[in-house]
Amino acid sequence: MFTSTLRAIKFAFQKFGRNFWLSIITVSMLVFTLLTINILIVLQQVTTKAITFAEDRIEVSVYFYPNSTIEQVSDAAVYLQGLPQVRDVAVITSDEALERFKLRHASDEVILASLSEVDGNPFGATLVVKAHSADDFPFILDALDNPKFRDDIREKDFSSYESIIDRIRSTTDRIQLFGIALSGIFLLIAILIVFNTVRIGIFIHREEIGIMKLVGASNAFVRAPFLIECILYSLLAVTITALIVFPSVATMDPKFSLFFNGETGGVLTYFSKNWYWIFGIQFIVMTIINMLATMVAMRKYLKV
Amino acid sequence: MIHFKNVSKTYPPNIVGIRNINLHIRPGEFVSIVGQSGTGKSTLAKMMFAEERPTSGEIAVGGWDITNIREHDVPLLRRQIGVVFQDFKLLSQKTVSENVAFALEVAGVSNRRIREVVPQVLKIVNLSDKGDRYPRQLSGGEAQRVVVARSLVHRPKILVADEPTGNLDTIHTREIIDLLKKINEFGTTVVLVTHNREVVNALKKRVITLDDGQITSDVEEGRYRL
Ligand SMILES: Nc1ncnc2c1ncn2[C@@H]1O[C@H](COP(=O)(O)OP(=O)(O)OP(=O)(O)O)[C@@H](O)[C@H]1O
Ligand SMILES: [Mg+2]
Repeated sequence: MFTSTLRAIKFAFQKFGRNFWLSIITVSMLVFTLLTINILIVLQQVTTKAITFAEDRIEVSVYFYPNSTIEQVSDAAVYLQGLPQVRDVAVITSDEALERFKLRHASDEVILASLSEVDGNPFGATLVVKAHSADDFPFILDALDNPKFRDDIREKDFSSYESIIDRIRSTTDRIQLFGIALSGIFLLIAILIVFNTVRIGIFIHREEIGIMKLVGASNAFVRAPFLIECILYSLLAVTITALIVFPSVATMDPKFSLFFNGETGGVLTYFSKNWYWIFGIQFIVMTIINMLATMVAMRKYLKV
Repeated sequence: MIHFKNVSKTYPPNIVGIRNINLHIRPGEFVSIVGQSGTGKSTLAKMMFAEERPTSGEIAVGGWDITNIREHDVPLLRRQIGVVFQDFKLLSQKTVSENVAFALEVAGVSNRRIREVVPQVLKIVNLSDKGDRYPRQLSGGEAQRVVVARSLVHRPKILVADEPTGNLDTIHTREIIDLLKKINEFGTTVVLVTHNREVVNALKKRVITLDDGQITSDVEEGRYRL
């Protein structure tokens, strides 16, 4: 059994070598397919990152009237903090608000002058509310309509990252759809090429196969090299793909920091952490698909 | 050793291969099968190693009923029957030794055993010195002897040779027939399908004549008569 397995592997390598160019074409097609799939994975990662990045920055500023007391403001802060949708509430007191305003307009004499005309501090306190997800904002805004606070609140300002997120989503959704269609087409071509490679392989080896059967090789032994070749193809294809994907991701990832305020896209980390899953599953699925194509080809052309 | 009982073979749609053959070949016999082209000689031979299945009737080889042999068991049968064909069927990219070893390799025989057996069978066919040649570097007779050597690796009890000398000149034909006789003397049952009148007449062994798929004569120490 062990001897036969080794021999079947040897025969598979011989087959691969004898149809070298055909094997190369087959593996290349598998690599193309896997590359599109990996591009999709990268895209998925970057999108997720971009969306969380944008979502992190969505906030509602709740401006209180200057005459509202610090208790009323902190009541509202505590109330918001208690909502499960709220991630973080920051309180900017009226004094801080005034300081910020002065700082921002430090170079503008006119504004500073008009500010000093006003009695006391014209600024009220502000709450800066962050949510867990963009979808939670309508709820939070509604919650602030609570009669307990409503009359103290001058204005609610919804800094709108929402449209950005929508744009990210719709763009990536479209790219993703295109990517899925492309990998689908590549996969189909890959299957046909594997099928054809096996067909030609059977044709090239038909004499050898005939002799094998005449001298008493079992059917399993006749078929095994073709199936082992499948494993060889996917192993090669996945390895080559990994060798292309890793350096590409490594060079690409830091470039994302331009968009993400100095943070990387996290794609490299994702790949380094999960490479055995990502490529392991690709290998297994690719092998299974190849084997199915091979078995269909053998059933059709290998009369055993 | 080989039993045919009312065996008929019809190829689709309704081409008659052989019809109603009754035949008994005893262990150690040397049987020649003769007949004109298309009379069913190869069909008969192929049924002995389950290359063709009978349409009706029963076939037993070595006490084993192979009439409806399962696909799974065919390799086991093939390892007990040596087969030699007219078209040599050697692999051109393998050397003589490798061609012979191939039959053992695909049957899962260990490398150690292969190293033992290959020189033995090459010695039997008198090709010990040509193990490293490629088929294209051999004469027709030598190539056919390699095929015979390959058919012997499993020490078969039966050797079926379908026109093994069809492509050979007189001298090489003699070589092959002498080889088959030698193998037969070692105890192997030999079934020889041939067109060659001199061969059959010189053998002075049992001759079965086929015509239109039927046995028309079966004579111990027969002669070639059509
Ligand atoms: N695979 C097949 N399909 C259909 N008909 C076949 C097949 N093999 C053989 N035949 C037919 O069966 C008949 C017997 O053929 P077979 O090959 O047994 O003859 P043969 O005696 O060996 O002839 P030859 O001396 O020319 O080799 C012929 O009519 C042939 O055409
Ligand atoms: Mg014939």
